[in-house]
Amino acid sequence: MRHDFYLAWRYLRHHRMRTLILVLCLSLIAALPMGLHRVLDAGEYWMTRRAEATPLLVGARGSSVDLTLGALYFSEAGVPAIRMQEADRIAATGWADPLPIYARYRVQGRPLIGVTLDYFDFRGLVPAQGELPAILGDCILGADAAERLGLGPGDTLASSSGNAFDLAGTYPLKLHVSGVLAKAHSPDDHAVFVDLQTAWVIEGLGHGHAETQAAPTQPDSPFGAATVGRADAELLTYTEITPENLGSFHFHGDPATYPISAVIALPHDARSATLLRGRYLDDKSATEIVRPLDVTRGLLQNIFRVGALFDGILLLVGGIAFLLVALVFALSLRLRQREIETIYLLGCARLAVLRLLLAEILLIALFAGAVCTAVLAAAAPHASNLARHFILS
Amino acid sequence: MPTFRLLSFVIALLATASAWGASAVSEHQLKIVASNYPLAYFAERLAGSSATVTSPAPADADPAYWRPDAKAVGAMQKADLILLNGADYEKWLAHVTLPRLKRVDTSAGFRDRFIRIENAVVHSHGPAGQHSHEGIAFTTWLDFDQAAQQAEAVAKALIAKRPELKTTVLDALKTLQADLAGLDGELKRITAARPGLPLMASHPVYQYLARRYGLNLKSVHWEPGEMPPANEWTGLDKTLAQHPAKTMLWEGPPAAAVADKLSTKGIASVVFDPCANRPESGDFLVIMKRNIENLKASFQR
Ligand SMILES: [Zn+2]
Repeated sequence: MRHDFYLAWRYLRHHRMRTLILVLCLSLIAALPMGLHRVLDAGEYWMTRRAEATPLLVGARGSSVDLTLGALYFSEAGVPAIRMQEADRIAATGWADPLPIYARYRVQGRPLIGVTLDYFDFRGLVPAQGELPAILGDCILGADAAERLGLGPGDTLASSSGNAFDLAGTYPLKLHVSGVLAKAHSPDDHAVFVDLQTAWVIEGLGHGHAETQAAPTQPDSPFGAATVGRADAELLTYTEITPENLGSFHFHGDPATYPISAVIALPHDARSATLLRGRYLDDKSATEIVRPLDVTRGLLQNIFRVGALFDGILLLVGGIAFLLVALVFALSLRLRQREIETIYLLGCARLAVLRLLLAEILLIALFAGAVCTAVLAAAAPHASNLARHFILS
Repeated sequence: MPTFRLLSFVIALLATASAWGASAVSEHQLKIVASNYPLAYFAERLAGSSATVTSPAPADADPAYWRPDAKAVGAMQKADLILLNGADYEKWLAHVTLPRLKRVDTSAGFRDRFIRIENAVVHSHGPAGQHSHEGIAFTTWLDFDQAAQQAEAVAKALIAKRPELKTTVLDALKTLQADLAGLDGELKRITAARPGLPLMASHPVYQYLARRYGLNLKSVHWEPGEMPPANEWTGLDKTLAQHPAKTMLWEGPPAAAVADKLSTKGIASVVFDPCANRPESGDFLVIMKRNIENLKASFQR
């Protein structure tokens, strides 16, 4: 037996090129469907886990897929805005806690997500370095975002990467990085988070003026209508929030009308969830409520349909490849006719030739398996990213 | 012997379990942050030993004009409940990042009854810089009926956070509201004796007090420790010509010189402490009772 393998090995070594091509073809044909399934599994795990953790989602009426992808996975497509009062409405019912999310902007290619601090509690996000945002203008980076941008606590980054289609004219705001979140293995890792109020400052709804300090005049009569003019001399708006100008930052208009993308609703119990969903049955209302799990399940079904198609094609390709390999062996047997005859003449049984061949096939299969495993192992860490890239955006 | 060993083992087990239970309870003590002392006092009375109540503003600062820094915000973020006075009291709220679900606006229930102040003057408060009282009057708790509503909002928030405390909180709320109703009744009784009696206030912080108890109150904008300039005094004389007040309410005892000068005009200085910050001695109820006692003399004169 050992001699069979020794001879097979010597033979394969002698015909290096042929062996290499066979091993590569076989390993890739095996690795492709397996890798694809890994990516699909990663995508499924990743999407259902996130969707399961997010019971209800309220957003603009329209595509529930867009809404879910935008609010849960921060897809680039974006979601039409709704108003902040939607969150207040949900809170007022007493059935659910609202978590407003504003995912409109991007900063250096990363999604810039405006949330309330409750979001970090909800998703179990804790700072690995630094602190959570505390003051207007602070931001905290997801683990991957921090790594890619090369930023940490104490650094700054400009909020606006120039939204060319934004006619309302948002001006860049220098954000202060207050911390970096611990890796969560979720879309949160790729995002930059700010407080909703900071997001609204970026939007231009809040700003700080450089005020000319009016002399502290004491009016003649303390009871008269004497008001001290606060001359807003130049309307110089700040692009960085500092402890000195923080006091001058203010918002115009009613915050209830400010834009958000969606509200995650956390119902207190199953009954509350049902009641809350009942609130959104009216087709005429501008908002709708969706269960992210239903949406992602629908989405995943489509993905798996595509996956099954791939499997079918790959099975076919695999069959053809198998036939080709068989052909290669058959042809090589022809070429080795003289060699085989020599083996007979040496006094070996007919079976020995078969054993030699089997050993060769086994060795090739072993090599192919090893290469296949190595390829899959090398690709495994990227499965989640690939899933994110191909399934979500 | 084996029975004894088994028994001692069980006892040891029970002891560990109860110790663990006790530590678990103390770990679950609610962390409450109140933006001013009246709310802290309500929370302390309602939650008792099941909560630790702190106020973020330092003892020497007026919480209404204090601004938290990042460190103070960080501390507030770690609280289970953040009690806010509302009525524009927390002017820093738009500048900081706090969890919305933990915030309780205790005056939201009577939002439609807020008093708006227009044409307020900007004035200086010594080292703290200048401020104005334009916007919404925020000393809501000096109307003890409103204070009772704020206490109720605190109680509701406590129960929502810790449903198991419901009965104790509601019992405590009953006695607290009874105390507040006592203050309310006493003030009403005193002021009803001489309705329309002209009064002066050193600072425009008594709007809700005046409204609830029908005080005929006019206000200057003076600080207890500062001698007002001459034009303030002439202004006061002009006012007194039409508004013959014999009493000026102060947030704290005025400087002797100011009090003396006022008394030459026949005006007695009376302390009515809004008690926005934790007093050095006594508590909210004690201070308010003293306030009412102080005011009583003016109505009996
Ligand atoms: Zn402005």
